[in-house]
Amino acid sequence: MTKTQTEDILEIRRLHQYFERGTVNENHALKGINLTLKAGDFVSVIGGNGAGKSTLLNSVAGSLPVDTGHILINQTDVTYQSVEKRAKLIGRVFQDPKMGTAPLLTVEENLALALRRGEWRNFWSSGVKRRDRKLFQERLATLGLGLENRLTTDIGLLSGGQRQAITLLMATLKNPALLLLDEHTAALDPKTSAIVMRLTNQLVAELHLTTLMITHNMTDAIKYGNRLIMLDHGRIVVDISGKDKQQLTVSDLLDLFKANSGQEMNDDAVLLS
Amino acid sequence: MDIVVSSISLGILWSVMAIGVYLTFRILDIADMTAEGSFPLGAAITAHQIVNGTNPIVATLLGFLGGCAAGFVSGFLHTKLKIPALLTGILTLTGLYSVNLFVMGKANVSLIGDVKTVLTLMPISDQTIAAIVIGTIVLVVVIALLVFFFNTEMGLAARAVGDNEQMSLANGISTDNMKMVVYMISNGLIALSGSLMTQINGYADSSMGIGTLVIALAAIIIAEVIIHNVSFGVRLITIVGGAIIYRFIIAIVLWLGVDPNSLRLFYSLMLALFLSLPLLRQLIKQRERRHQNRLANLDREEEQTND
Ligand SMILES: Nc1ncnc2c1ncn2[C@@H]1O[C@H](COP(=O)(O)OP(=O)(O)OP(=O)(O)O)[C@@H](O)[C@H]1O
Ligand SMILES: [Mg+2]
Repeated sequence: MTKTQTEDILEIRRLHQYFERGTVNENHALKGINLTLKAGDFVSVIGGNGAGKSTLLNSVAGSLPVDTGHILINQTDVTYQSVEKRAKLIGRVFQDPKMGTAPLLTVEENLALALRRGEWRNFWSSGVKRRDRKLFQERLATLGLGLENRLTTDIGLLSGGQRQAITLLMATLKNPALLLLDEHTAALDPKTSAIVMRLTNQLVAELHLTTLMITHNMTDAIKYGNRLIMLDHGRIVVDISGKDKQQLTVSDLLDLFKANSGQEMNDDAVLLS
Repeated sequence: MDIVVSSISLGILWSVMAIGVYLTFRILDIADMTAEGSFPLGAAITAHQIVNGTNPIVATLLGFLGGCAAGFVSGFLHTKLKIPALLTGILTLTGLYSVNLFVMGKANVSLIGDVKTVLTLMPISDQTIAAIVIGTIVLVVVIALLVFFFNTEMGLAARAVGDNEQMSLANGISTDNMKMVVYMISNGLIALSGSLMTQINGYADSSMGIGTLVIALAAIIIAEVIIHNVSFGVRLITIVGGAIIYRFIIAIVLWLGVDPNSLRLFYSLMLALFLSLPLLRQLIKQRERRHQNRLANLDREEEQTND
């Protein structure tokens, strides 16, 4: 147990990403990122628009090919693995609630797909198994949204918040080595956003998940997780964890942001919080 | 009466193709032109086999497998070589034209005379009825197998791929492989339809694929316009209905004395109309809404002046 707790789950080494490299529009979006996440680390990632947060997450997930550098998950080099291959190790929730689920499939069909993440899918046994339905109902019941009675509803008919909560369940159903969240509450109204955020925290704690969470909400960034990093212009400029992180306030963060980027943080989320 | 029975018989045979087209069209969201090559491919393989004395059921299954192979080629070009779906279809279709000539050895093969076909296996003398019986048997098997497959672990993954590719990848589904599977099943069924058609018509012709995609799509759209929001299995059954209705419309048009040479123009115009129906419906609804809005505004203004 002590060994797994000190094991590195994610290791990013000297990661550079360029967009439109070699043209006049060249954009050096990530400038040599080094980042290591230990088992159970819950890291909030903040930074202004265009800082490179999504680029970082997409590189880890594999949806963006790496220009230079290496990415290791569970000590395996996944730098050149396809998204679907890496999916075995990664649970992911997107900003857009529509992106995480297949709208024409039912709630139980979506969950059944997630239950076989990273495994071979055969063409003889039923996609949604009877014994799985019980599991789905139990997990859905923990959301407290009444979804346990709607297993056969098409997911496309559910609200954004409901879909996002289900996506979160799907991403964690198979205990991923790494959970990636890219502003997964940003598209939701404040109340739903709070529900999904609480659920996230609960799942991460229960399943002891190693998590990378991008957020624009400073309060959430401070409240959740044991570590916080700030990105600016493709670099990690702040990395706080442990006690220092616990004592952080929103105004500390705004000062840090100003000190590092020379600009005021001008996000709605900040003003609201 | 004759018109009705023959429309049913033709509709049933075409619906095997329409169901094949439906798989790529609605599950993958691709209008796959390969169809117009795999349809005559199925016909060519089966006709050639039958003329050489192969058991007609085996010959039909070989036709189906030929279609699967054509689907594999298109699927490979599209997913592995990243060629746009429309071009992929055109490439395979063009290549298949030559393949079909190779298979048959000439532009057309006749099955009239002393040859065994699935029809002659039937103890029914009326050819049209025999065609209906065979078509129905095939349809029942095909629909049952498809409903079964698309509810298995792999089938579910295949449906997810067309519905949300990002989500599929994030859940570890190889979208390329799933697309290829659907391409293969789809074109296998299309070839099966060609294979049956050739045995019932008594000939295979290298140009018999032209315009078939439009016929299949029309059957699908009719089914969707008349009955919407149904499960996958029910949808497949409604497509059979759509195909029969479509053949019936065509039969009436021909009976009215329309020149058969203008038939394909008619196919296209009709499909264009069907495809634009959702938009037309929306326009009508919008007009109604605008009208109601105006009435409501008038009411409100009146109220205000009354105040
Ligand atoms: N597909 C792309 N093509 C070209 N440039 C891109 C692409 N994606 C991102 N960029 C650029 O890379 C930089 C980093 O973008 P990224 O999306 O990672 O920012 P972010 O930190 O997630 O910002 P936000 O908070 O607005 O989501 C930006 O300058 C952006 O314009
Ligand atoms: Mg972003």
